[in-house]
Formats: sequence, structure tokens, C-alpha cells
Amino acid sequence: MGNLTRAHLVETGIWLFICIVFFGFSFEFNKTIEIYKFGATGWPRSILLLLILVGAGNLYYAWNNGSETQKGRVGFSEESSEVSYNSMGQVIKTSFILLLPLFYAILLKPVGFYAGTPFFIALIMLAWGERRVGKILLVTLVIYAFLIFLFMFLLNAPLPQGNVSPFYDFSAFMLKTKTQLQQLM
Amino acid sequence: MWENFLTGTATLFGDPFTIAIFIFGVLGGMLFGAIPGVSMLTLAAILLPFTADLDPAQGVMLFAVIYCTGTYGGAITAILFNIPGAPENAPTSFDGYPMTRQGKAAKAVGAAVLCSAIGGTASALVMMLATEPLAKWAIMNIGPPEIFALVFFGLAVASTVGGRTIWKGWLSVLLGLLIATIGQDPVGGINRYNFGFSDLAAGIAFVPAILGFFAVSEVFVQAEKKASGKYEAPELSVNFPTFRELWAHKIAVIRSIFVGFFCGILPGIGATLAAFMGYGEAVRWSKNKEEFGKGKLEGVISSETANNAATGAAMIPLLALGLPGGALTAMMVAVFQMHDLEPGPLVFYNSPDLIWIVFAAMFYANLSILFIGLLETKTILYLLKIPFQFLAPLILMLASIGAYIGRGLVLDVMVMFAAGIIGFLLRRSGYSIPGIVLGLILGKIGEQNFAQGMQMVHYDLVTYFSRPICTILIVAGALTLLRGVYSAIQSSRSTEAV
Repeated sequence: MGNLTRAHLVETGIWLFICIVFFGFSFEFNKTIEIYKFGATGWPRSILLLLILVGAGNLYYAWNNGSETQKGRVGFSEESSEVSYNSMGQVIKTSFILLLPLFYAILLKPVGFYAGTPFFIALIMLAWGERRVGKILLVTLVIYAFLIFLFMFLLNAPLPQGNVSPFYDFSAFMLKTKTQLQQLM
Repeated sequence: MWENFLTGTATLFGDPFTIAIFIFGVLGGMLFGAIPGVSMLTLAAILLPFTADLDPAQGVMLFAVIYCTGTYGGAITAILFNIPGAPENAPTSFDGYPMTRQGKAAKAVGAAVLCSAIGGTASALVMMLATEPLAKWAIMNIGPPEIFALVFFGLAVASTVGGRTIWKGWLSVLLGLLIATIGQDPVGGINRYNFGFSDLAAGIAFVPAILGFFAVSEVFVQAEKKASGKYEAPELSVNFPTFRELWAHKIAVIRSIFVGFFCGILPGIGATLAAFMGYGEAVRWSKNKEEFGKGKLEGVISSETANNAATGAAMIPLLALGLPGGALTAMMVAVFQMHDLEPGPLVFYNSPDLIWIVFAAMFYANLSILFIGLLETKTILYLLKIPFQFLAPLILMLASIGAYIGRGLVLDVMVMFAAGIIGFLLRRSGYSIPGIVLGLILGKIGEQNFAQGMQMVHYDLVTYFSRPICTILIVAGALTLLRGVYSAIQSSRSTEAV
């Protein structure tokens, strides 16, 4: 097994899985293009072939060197891979930090930007370990006010309004207030 | 030329409203370029409808000024937070961010200010001197095979930087190329890899993917460190580079101006490849290659000079041939069209006033970077004093809005956060995020030009390689790849011997 670890095998397995899935799906659009000999599949399948070859090279390197950084690499910083996990608590904490924004994005359509954002801002700070309630409330208010002023009033940018009551009603209230304020000015 | 330039200057500074638009463009470009998550493209997209009310010269000038200063603005966040404002600032973060960690943030930003100004001004001067002859040369000598060859060379260079091993560098670029195949194929318009989602027919939009891979993944990396107690706030410094330090890199600056200008002149290639190639060439010619990526001033200098040098050059195909080189220059075409004008050779004869006010504005915008940029640096450095747990939600929110505004799709916000998680995991495993992004950006351009090139030469490789520029670039790219294979094998053998 050389210096291979389970992580290396999983990594190779993921690359192989991606290649198999993409190759399988390439039959869905395997149509000829009259003016182009290689068709719609020529380019993506060439990339998949190269991915398999380079993935094999990556595995061979890991076999010999494990996760060691190749000598003379330019522009690579070890910094982002230096954290190691010693407890389940750390894993849960990091997973929460990673999944929270994705959860916000999924809820953006029903809840909307105006109603969901303050809660998200506060939750992010909580997830980052901030426990001072006063600071969380103050920073949430400042960021929310800044975003509303910049994008709603200054740039007039359309933002998601949500499609579920009462969130949609709240967005409507915000937009109505904005229009009234603009008429006053 | 000087007479026209002076006339353009007089028109620019002769009208208070035009001056106001110029100042707005300079500050807006810098600010939007520097705010993580919201790029100059966001500002330009929002401003586009308003340019209908402006004079055509004022409208085009505004976009040209935003282009120059926005390209510089992204360097600030790349250096201070490891979050490039735009992909063309990605290589700046390779050495700029380590410099920030070492307490040399002001030195890195100061170098970025000066070199952006030098690169941009030089590029503006060449643009004024030679737009027409250069455009003619480009149209005679540069076709799809050359553009594909340049994309190939650029990707070969990009794959050699950023990853833990050369294999991971290549895998990163190939992953970017694979993601770029999602959406319609550029020749026949056939839907590829939409996995049943109709929104994917238009492909993965660049902006959410870039924001996710860079900004969101960086926030996650810092969050992980905070969670494990390893987070250290960067040191604050106002120690600008000395004249001697900068003079020592004069060759790197000159080389990057040439690289940037060459990349900028080619339609569709632009500042991103210029920055990567500027950085790559600096590494190639350096005697101390191993110092790159660890906080070497030359890394910041090379990429920032090259990306700004591409801005003036990118105007050449736009103004002389009507071919936009990237997203922002494409928006400029829209400004022309709003006023019933067509960019192209005729615009030089029909609207010389417009051309020269734009040239003059770009020249002065680049000079403004020097003065306003230095003042701005001191102010922005104080952002580092804000604890990251308060800055993180702001970055994430700006990124979310930036992702959403482009197409008005919540899907793009999801794509951005998914790219953030994937980027975070890939960074932990030693993959190169800039490599993925460059593959994603250049994938479609590469495929389209490969297909057109092949059709042009009737699939005959002998004819393909009879074009000198094409041959030189492909051979240079192939040599770069072969050198990578050699170094990977050597590195494995040396370990086996141990």
C-alpha cells in the first residue's frame, strides 16, 4: 500500500465517481453536429480521459509520498490544511459553520432576503463563537442597515422577497416604506 | 496624437458634470472592486440602464474608468483577506496574503497600487499610440487557433502554481474545465450536463462560482481556524515599499506590462490570464522560485502590473474591431448600442471626440489609482482591526447579493455556497482554487476556439501547426506540462530512494 491512506483512496474514488457519472451522462447529448466532427461529447470526454490519467498520477504520487507537499511548489500555502480534528465537537462545529449558509440559501426563496437576513447574520456570529448578545444585536443591526441602504435605496437592486406569508408581507412592507421615503425626498 | 490627447483632456476636465462622472467612476470602481463579493461588474451592471441618459462619450468613459480602477480594487481584498475581488486578482493573493500574515500588508498594497498604476498607464499610452495598427496586426495574425493555443498555454502555466503537487494543480484545472462544459455546447448549442435542471442549461455562472470558491471558502477556512483555536488576526502595518525595493523589480514590471498587454489585446482572454501569466513568468525567470507563495513582493508586483496592463489593451479590439474582450467590455458595447453607435473602425472617423475622451479618461484613471490608492490603503488597512467574526457575516451577505444580482436566481446563491463548501474541502486537500476558476473561465473560450480552429484547417494538424504564433504557444505549453511530469517523477523517485 506504500504511503496510501484511506483518505487517498476516498479521494481517488471521488474522482473516479465524477468521471463515471459525467461519462454516463455524456450519452444523453451524444449527438452529431454537422459542422463539427468531434460533436458535443468530444471536448468533455477528452477532459474526462485526462482526469482519469491525472487522477492515476495523483494516486501514484500518494503511494510514494503520502500527503507530502511536492518540493518546489509555487503559490501553495500549507495554511489551509493545517487544522486537525481531535474531537467530535470540533467536527460538528465546523459542519454547522459550513452548512448554515447553504441552509440560508435554500430558505431564501420562501423566506426572502429582507426577513431572513438579520437572523442569518446573528447565527453566523453565534457559530463563530461570539456570545455577547449586545454585540451580536448591534453588529446585526449595523450590517442589515448598511445592506438595506446600499442595495435597496442607493442601487435599487432587486432582492429576493420570499413567497410564503408572513415573510412576503414583510418584504412588501419594506418596499412600500422605501417608495414612501423616496417620494418624501 | 498629443493634440488629440490634449483635446480629450480638455473635454474631460472642461465640463463639471463629466468631471463628476469621472470621479464617481474612479471611486466606484475602487470601492466595488475592494468590497469582497461585489465586483466592478456588479456596479457596471447596475449602472448600465442609467447610461442611456448620459452623453455617449460620458457613458463609455464611465465604464472605461470603472474597468481600470476596479481591476486594481480587487487587489486590496486579495492581499488583506485572501479574497480576490475578481479572478484577475487571484495570483495577487498567492504572495499578498502571506505578506499580510507577516505584518507587511501595507507593503503589499503599496506595491499593488504603484504597479497597477504603472501597468495601467503604460497600457493606456500604448493604446493611444497604436490602437489602429495593433488591431490590424491582431486581425491579420490572431485567429481561433492562436486563441486556443494561448488558452492552452495559460492553463498549462496556471496548473503549475497553487496546488500541493503538480497532479493536484492539473486536477484543479481539469475540474474547472469540466464544470465549464455544463450548459450549452459552444458549437451546436446542445444542452450538456443539465441533470434535469432547466436553469443549468445556461451553465454555471462565473460570478457565483468565483465568489463561492474564493470568498466563501476563505471565510470557512478562517472559521475552521477560529473553531479550533488556531485563528490569528493579521498584523497591522503602514510600512510602504521603498523606491529601492520597487526599483529592484523593474524587470518584472516591464515583463508583466508586455505579458499583460499581449493577453489583453486578444478577444475573450483579458486580465485574468494576464495576471496568471505575469505571475507564472515571474516564477519562471526567478532564481529563488521556492520563495514565491510565501510572501514575495515580486509575486504581487507581477500579477498586479499584468492585469492592469491588460485593461488598456482590451480596449483595442473593442474600439478598433468591435470585439469585446470580456464581460465589462461587452457591457461597453451595450452602451454604444444604446446610443445607436457601433464600436469598430468607423468610430475613429465618426466619433473621434468620444475615442479621445475615453483614452484620456483611462490615462488619468490609472494615475488616480496612484494618488487615491495610497490614501485609500491607509484607511482600508484599518478593516483588519475589525474582528473576523463581525466581518464574516458582512462578506457572506455581500457575496450572496453579488451572486443573486447577476441573473436574479436563488439557484446562483445555492451554487455559490455549494462552491464554497467544495472549495473549502479542496483547499484542505491541497488543490488549487485559482486553477479551478481559471479552468472554468477559459473552458468555453478554449473549446469554442479549438472547434473553430479545427474547422478552419479542415482538421489537418500540419496546417494547424504551420501558424507560427500558434505553434510557439502550443510547444511552450507542452514543454511546461512535460517539465511538470518530469518534476513529479523526480520527486517520486527521490522519495523511493530514501
